[in-house]
Parts: sequence; structure tokens; C-alpha cells
Amino acid sequence: MAAANGGAGSVLPGVTAIALATAFLIVLLRVENQTAIISLLAFGLAAVAVANWFGWLAPVTRSFAERENALDAFAVVAALVVAAVFHEDHFVLLLVCTVLLYIVATLGLNIQFGYAGVLNFAGASFFGIGAYTAAVLNEHTAIPHLLVLLIGGVMAALIGSLLLLPVLRTRGHYAAVVTIAFALLFKTFLEVNDVLGGPQGLQVRSMKILGWSFNDNFQIGGVKLSFYISYFLVSLIILVLAFVLVRRIERSWVGLNLDALRLDETAACCFGLDIVRWKVTAFLLGNFLIGIAGTLFGMVGGFVQPNNYTFADSLILVSILLLGGIGNPWGVVVATVIVVIVPEKLQAIQEYRFLLYAALVMAVLLFRSEGLLPRPVRRYFPGWRP
Amino acid sequence: MINLRILGILASTVIFAGLLTAAGIGPIQAKDKVKVGFIGPLTGGTSANGLGGRNSADLAVRLRNADAKAKYEYEMIALDDECKPNVGVQQATKLAADKELIAAATHYCSAVAIATVDVYHKFGLPVIVWGAVLPDITYRNKYPEVHRVNGTMINQNQRNAELISKLGYKTFAVIHDTTDYGKGHNKYFSEALAKQGGKIVGTFGVTSDQQDFAAELTQIKSLNPQVIYFGGLTPIGVRIRAQMDKLGLNNVVFDATSGIKSDAYIEGLGKLAEGSLSFIEGGPIERLPGGKSFLVKYNAQNYPNPPEAYGAFAFAAMSLILDTIESVGPDRKKVQDTLNKVKDRDSIVGTITFDDHGQNTVPVITGFVVQDGKWVVWEDSEYASGKRKLPGQK
Amino acid sequence: MDFGLFAQHTMNGLMLGMMYALVAVGFTLFFGVLDVIKFSHGDVLTVGAFTALATFVGLKSMGVASTTVELLAMLIAAIGAMAVLGAVIAKAFVLPLRAAPALNTLLITLMLGTVLREAVRLFYPDGANPKPFPRLLPAESVSIGNFNLRLDNTIMLAAGVLVIVGLQLMLNRTKLGLAIRAVAQDEETAKTMGVNFSAIVLITFAIGSALAAFAGLMNGLYYNEINFGIGLYLGVVGFSAAIIGGLGSIYGAILGGFMFAALQTIGAVALPFASAYKDVFAFAVVIVLMAWRPTGLIPEKLSERV
Repeated sequence: MAAANGGAGSVLPGVTAIALATAFLIVLLRVENQTAIISLLAFGLAAVAVANWFGWLAPVTRSFAERENALDAFAVVAALVVAAVFHEDHFVLLLVCTVLLYIVATLGLNIQFGYAGVLNFAGASFFGIGAYTAAVLNEHTAIPHLLVLLIGGVMAALIGSLLLLPVLRTRGHYAAVVTIAFALLFKTFLEVNDVLGGPQGLQVRSMKILGWSFNDNFQIGGVKLSFYISYFLVSLIILVLAFVLVRRIERSWVGLNLDALRLDETAACCFGLDIVRWKVTAFLLGNFLIGIAGTLFGMVGGFVQPNNYTFADSLILVSILLLGGIGNPWGVVVATVIVVIVPEKLQAIQEYRFLLYAALVMAVLLFRSEGLLPRPVRRYFPGWRP
Repeated sequence: MINLRILGILASTVIFAGLLTAAGIGPIQAKDKVKVGFIGPLTGGTSANGLGGRNSADLAVRLRNADAKAKYEYEMIALDDECKPNVGVQQATKLAADKELIAAATHYCSAVAIATVDVYHKFGLPVIVWGAVLPDITYRNKYPEVHRVNGTMINQNQRNAELISKLGYKTFAVIHDTTDYGKGHNKYFSEALAKQGGKIVGTFGVTSDQQDFAAELTQIKSLNPQVIYFGGLTPIGVRIRAQMDKLGLNNVVFDATSGIKSDAYIEGLGKLAEGSLSFIEGGPIERLPGGKSFLVKYNAQNYPNPPEAYGAFAFAAMSLILDTIESVGPDRKKVQDTLNKVKDRDSIVGTITFDDHGQNTVPVITGFVVQDGKWVVWEDSEYASGKRKLPGQK
Repeated sequence: MDFGLFAQHTMNGLMLGMMYALVAVGFTLFFGVLDVIKFSHGDVLTVGAFTALATFVGLKSMGVASTTVELLAMLIAAIGAMAVLGAVIAKAFVLPLRAAPALNTLLITLMLGTVLREAVRLFYPDGANPKPFPRLLPAESVSIGNFNLRLDNTIMLAAGVLVIVGLQLMLNRTKLGLAIRAVAQDEETAKTMGVNFSAIVLITFAIGSALAAFAGLMNGLYYNEINFGIGLYLGVVGFSAAIIGGLGSIYGAILGGFMFAALQTIGAVALPFASAYKDVFAFAVVIVLMAWRPTGLIPEKLSERV
């Protein structure tokens, strides 16, 4: 038995996997030479394939299933290690922040689509609503910036609620077109509307918390730190909160209701579930998370512009969810890292990167249609066995 | 201890190299490597201009590296901003955060350029903008890091309004894309035209990726202007001109901006391009001191795409950067200070002088008209000599 | 508004609507037989238009000068090639994913669309720039006041009507049409009745993609310019049109296509100095329509399904 490697319930395989993945990521982020990057990626793929062949991945999965809390904590440590290694490197930290916030947004999408089965092809639009909220509020008001984060989320949920009626009334592909139409409308509207800067976009003031300006580099004990470290920490905290929230929802009776709703609406209705209530909850909560991520992303990037929030960007969010495995937060994490970092590192193929990215997603859908990490059987708490 | 060892190695290397050179058998002493940057839209709808710019900047670097007298060996990092500000900010951060990179030639799209100036200021990376024409890029702030070799759209539109009014045209309809580029043109052209006494009968904002203009053009037809002024880039310029023909709008002058001055415009329209007007900053490349040889050298490299209207500016920007590094060494601060003092420097786009905002004062604006399938300088054209007439000209 | 202007706007709207309708009919056909959305449809249109252009360039270099020959060759090449491409797409990417959730098909075809689009941009010579498309139809025109009636537009409109009527006849009067309708109505029953299911699916995809190629050619002849991005927009609009009309219904798709064009034209005319808002207006109406008629104007179950 492959499980003998780690033994039931051991954290060791999970910790090893995270440590190896982190080390790989650090090397990947550090290397600049294109040949080296390509060989590294090939090596990574081969390593995973070999590990899979020898059955070493099974104990990892097991360890994640049974000791998840400990491993979640370890993953946070791993993220901190990455940040510490690159404490001075602005660009890498910006990339890491992007990854963290995209994960938060995709987690929101996961609540909507992964659990409740509500399609949302306008993820980037709600992300954009958050970012524009940050731009407007930071410029014209003195609202504390942590509160702005919340308001950004609320705004996304509020504007999203305009779509509630059509989203609730439609199903399947018909529901898809509602959000697709919204995504196109949103971008065109921002482009032709002068009040919000038009296609030119708006500058976003940097974040300040209790007088601490986030756009200054700083030193601790003689070590120079990039200003992105502050953003990184806030992003990480938000991600941890979002992750815990999603996990709690999934394991609670709420998640059970949402699953029932997704799997068979009619049956769920017959068993007395309030379809409307749960669909509304999932849609609004998802948009709230996406909005918060967008608000902070606006402040990190320092600039918002309609072109950043197109239908194509929404598709990237959806494809992250599919790549990772619908309904599995850990899958979302892995897929986001791949989708955001790999094209960024592969500058040598810059003109071909959309082509390759699209081909890659197609391959995954064809040969591993459940995504990289399919959602496991429901567990009500770590280590629970049916 | 360690330092001593490194010193020892260094010393012996130097001596060894010296011996080799003395003996005349070694390679020419290895030059220090210096990194410079380029950013432009390499993918997406405006990629033709981005690729032309990249190739031109690359040409400057290749020529310099081939020059035995050059003190350093240059490596150009070319990044793609996709004409999207957020991507541009990321790529700008990437360049600026690389401490080995000394200076960069950046951006064709105004929306990207205006978004990234803060990044360059924050990180202290001297840059020269090679294609974006929005005045705000240099004039909104006074950043010592930011320079621009090409002119702004203000001068261009003054010249445009003067010329077209002198020809006797009085009524205008404006179509502009709703990007900062189109809106800026609309604003500055309207101002310049008001001074000349021309009248704008209708203004239509369109998105920069619109396909069908029949509705707008039908509206314009009912307004019956003598001239359609267009502020936007080649792709929709081609569409609008082609669809004007479909609606029988042929007795109207198509008066446009620097955005359509590309070979792609003529290729896209064939005979219909005849008589279209465009204005760019700087003289016609073929006539400048280094222009001809630029084109010859460009073609010699067999780049897959033409340099397009702003390739020469990218070449000039990169050459200026390399010249400066050659003279003061690879140091950002020194390069920046020297760039700020650039005055009356000859280049293939004319003399370059940076004002206190780092803006090149480009006195020359050249008007072009399409004549027999070529962009011809207005003054040399048969339209100016009176041999041919623009639509509706008296 | 005078009559000429009104007629001109109507003509503009009809031309747009015809192209949208042709694309929408493809979506509805695919949905009819397989209950899937094939989002690469718009980009198949792009590839079709570029195939036609390449054929033209090839013929020109061989010295063929007759416009009729050129036009016919372009039509045959584009339609033939896209029919094959459509069938290949169905075989390689759509049928294998039948067991997976519907979203996977949507996504894989979206990605396929990206691959096609990027391939045109990168591998067609100078594909990043808009390409001129030859004017091959007679360009005579009659001006009635502000209305410019052109022969080429009229020919294209008539050809579009013919294609749609032909498709309708094929579906309703031939054995193949019967088989397609049978599969659309009930796959299992159709199979037991001896209908070769996968063959019918492949043929349907070939027909739908051929329609896209036709629309692509029409697009090229109408605008005299094609670029690698035309399909993306037309695909989204065609999909929306098919949905507004009601997926699975051919009449619905046609209605949806013309309605979307009408909305855009009305948007541009009614908001004369803010015509850029016309798409915002059109898509807002789509959303409202969906709230009002959640399964489209001609709901699937009540209508005859393809």
C-alpha cells in the first residue's frame, strides 16, 4: 500500500509536498534565463508525473484530507517564506500579491458555481467594481482604507444584485448569457463614461492604515523591505479569512444545502429547500469576496482601467476554477499559481503565450476533465470518514 | 579573507587578459554587459506599431553592439504591455525593479504611458517615451525620469486645423475613439478649429474596437459636413473610410491624425485611401539626415514587420539612451541628469531638445496626403499644387 | 427623420441582422443536436473569412481575373474548409466531452476559439493588421435622397435569405433534416430508430460551420476588411441572439439576430450624441429580456426543435 509511506493521518506527506512545491516556486521565481525556466517547468511536470506513477501522491491527498488544519497553517508559513526570500524584489512580490488576490476572487466564484451552481461569467467585472470603488473612495473621501475594502465588497454585491432577477429566473446557458451580457456592458459602459475616467482609467491612491503608508519601502532591523510586503501581508490575511469562510460554508449545513441545490434543483425544492434564498446568498457572497479582492488589487496596482476587466479576464477566472477542480479550494490555489505565474515567466514565448495557454487548458479539459485536483468526497471535519 | 581571494582572482584575470591583449591573440577585451529596456504593445490590435517599435529599438542596440568603439555590450529586454495599463504597470515595475537595467524606451499607447510614469518616478528609472502622444504624460507631473522624443497631439492638431481651414472647408463632423487618444484629439482639434472659425456639426465617440459604423455615418450624412475629422488608430480608421464609401459619403474629406499614418492604412483601403490626410510630429523619415540609412539598415535585418510611423522615434529614443550610457556610464542617476540636459541633438527624427518636463520640443509637423497609394508630404503633393483636388475643394 | 434616412438605417440594420442571424443559427443548430454551446463558432467565422481571402490571393497570383470565378472559388473553399473544420472540432473536442459538465464544453470551445484567433494573428502573413478584402460584387448604387441603395448589399441580403430558406427546406423536407430533427428531439429514440448518431452530429457541425464561413465571407465583402478579432464579437453577439430567441429554435435565432441589430441601430439613432452607448443599451435590453422571458422569446419546449 502506498499509504504506508506516511501512515494514516500523518501530516508528513502534506508538509513535504508543500515544502517541495514552495522550493520549486522560489527557484522558478528567481530564475530569469528562459532556457532554465523552460527546463524547470518541464522538470516540475516530470516530477509530478513520476510521483503520480509511483503512487506518492496518494498519501499526500490523504494527509491533506485528514490533517487539513495543520497543513493550512503550514501553507501560510510557506507563503511567508516566499515573501521573506523576495523581501526586496518588488516585481516578484507584486506577482505574489496578484496570485493571492486572484485566489480570493476565484474562491468567491467557487461559492457561486462550485457549490450553488450559479454561473458567473462576469467575475472580472465584479473585481473591477471593487477596484473602481477603491479609486473613487480613496481619492474623494477620508474613509479608512480597511473599511474601503469592505465597502468595495458590498458595492460588488449590490451592483450584482441588479442581476438577481434574471439570474434567478434563468438556468444553464440562459443564465450564462445574463452574466456575459453584463460583462460586455460593464466594460463598454466604463469606456464611454467620462465620470469614471473613461478608457483612460483612474489612479488609485495607495493604502494607508493608521498613518502607515503602503507605498513606502521600509526597513526592519537593517533589512530593506519592499513596500509590496505590506500589501502582501494584507492580501494574505484576506486570503486566510476567505479560505476559512469557504471551508466553513462547505462543511456546514449551508454547504450541504448549496450542494443539493446544484445537483438537483427540483429535488432540493421538493425537500423544502428555499432555492431563491440560497441562490441569492451564494451569488451575493461570491460577489462580495470578488469585490474585496478587486478593491485591494486596485490599490496594489495603483491604477484601474476598463480594459483590465473584460470578458476575457472573466474567462480566465472561470478557467482557473475549472483547471483547479470545481469546488475544491486547494485546486483553486494550485491553478491560480499556474495561470498567473507561468505566462509571466515565459517571456521568451511572449507572442505565443495566449495560444499556448489556451491549448494547455484544452488539454486539461480533454484529458483530466475534473481539473487538476478534483473535489474530494465531502468531509464534515478534517479526518472525518464516512 | 574572501575579499582577498576575489581580489587575487580579479588581479590575475586582469594580468592574464593584459598579457593576451599584448600578445595580440586574445579576443577584444570582453565588454561589460549593460541592460536596457523596451516596452510596447507586442500583442493585440495595435501590435503592428509595437512590433515596429521593438524592431527599431532592437536595431539601435544591434548597431551599437556591432560597433567596435562602443564601451559596453548592450542587452535589450523587450516587454509587452498589451496596450493595457494594468499589464503596463506590471511590466514597468518589472523593468524598474531590475537594478542592472539602466534606462528604457517605453510605450506606444497613451493610456499605458500615463499609468506607468509614477512607477518610473518611484523606482528612479529614466525612460524615453517613443510613441504615446497624450500631453499629460510629460506635463501632468514634473518627473525628472520621464522624457519623450515624439511631440504631443496639441501641435499636430493646430497644424491640421490651419491647413484644412486654409483650403476653404467650414463644416466638420468629428469621429473619435473614446480612449484618451481619441478624446484628446477631439479636444485639441476642436480648440484649434474654433480659432480658425470652422464649425463642428456633430461629434461621435466610438469604442476603439467597433466594427460597424453605419449608424454613425448615416447620422453624419444627414448633417452634411464637408469634412470628417477622425481621431483614432489605423484599424477603425480603415473601417470608417471603407464604410463611408458604402454609404455614398465620397464627397467628404477624410482628415485624420497620426494614428492612421501607417502602411497598413493604405494596404487596408487600396484606392479608397486616396486623399486621406494625416499629420505627424517630426519630418518625413526619408528626408532626415539619418532617415534613409535607418530604412536601409532596418530592411537589412529582415524583420518580419515594417517599422511603421513611430519606429524611427523608437530608434531615436534607444540611440539617445545608448549614447548617454556611453558617455556617462551605466548609472541611472547620471543617465537621467544627462538626458535632462539634452539640447539640439541631431537624430533621425530631427533635433532633440528636452524642455523642463523632458518633452522634446518638436517644431516640425508634417502633413501627409495619400496620393497614388503612398503617403506623400502635403507640400509636395499634387493636391497642394492644385493639380488634383480633395473632395469638394473649390 | 426623412424617409431616405429611415431607409438607410433600416438597410444598415438588415445587413447587420443578417450576419448576426447566420451566426446565431449555427449556435442554435449545435445546441439542438447536442445541448452544447460551441463558443469557437465566431472564430470559425474568422478562419473562414481568412480562407476566402487566401484563396483570392492564390487565384490572383495564378492570374485568374474573372470575379465570378474568384467569388465562386472563395465561396467553395471557405465553406468546404470550415465544414471540415467544424466536423473535426465536433469529433475531437465536443463529442469526447459529452459526459463532462456542460460548462467544460463551453470552456474548451472558448479556448479553441482563442487558439484559432491567435493562430490567425500569428501565422497568417501579417495577420495582426486588418486585411483588405477585395470588392468582388458590382458596386452600382442608386441614391434616393439620403438613401444609398447598393447592388452588392442587395445581393448579399438576398443570398442570406436564400441560405436560410435553403436550410429550412433541408431540415424540414429531406431525410437528413428528419434525422437531425430526430436527434435533436430525442437522442436515444433516434438511435433505436437507426439514425447514426455521431454521423448526424458531425454533419450538423459541418453545416453550422459552413454557415459561419458564409457569414465570414459576407462580412468581408460588406466591410471590405477583415481582422483576426471579428469573430470574437460576432460570436458573442450571435450567442446572445440565439439565447434571446430561445436556444434550439431556428426562428428564434433569426429573430434574435435581427432584434439585436435593431437594438444597436435604435441605440445609435436615439442617443445621437452618445452613440458609443449603443452596445451598453443593447446588452442592457438583453438582460432585461432574460428577466422577462427566461428561456428566450420562442421557448424551446413549445417550439419545434430544429
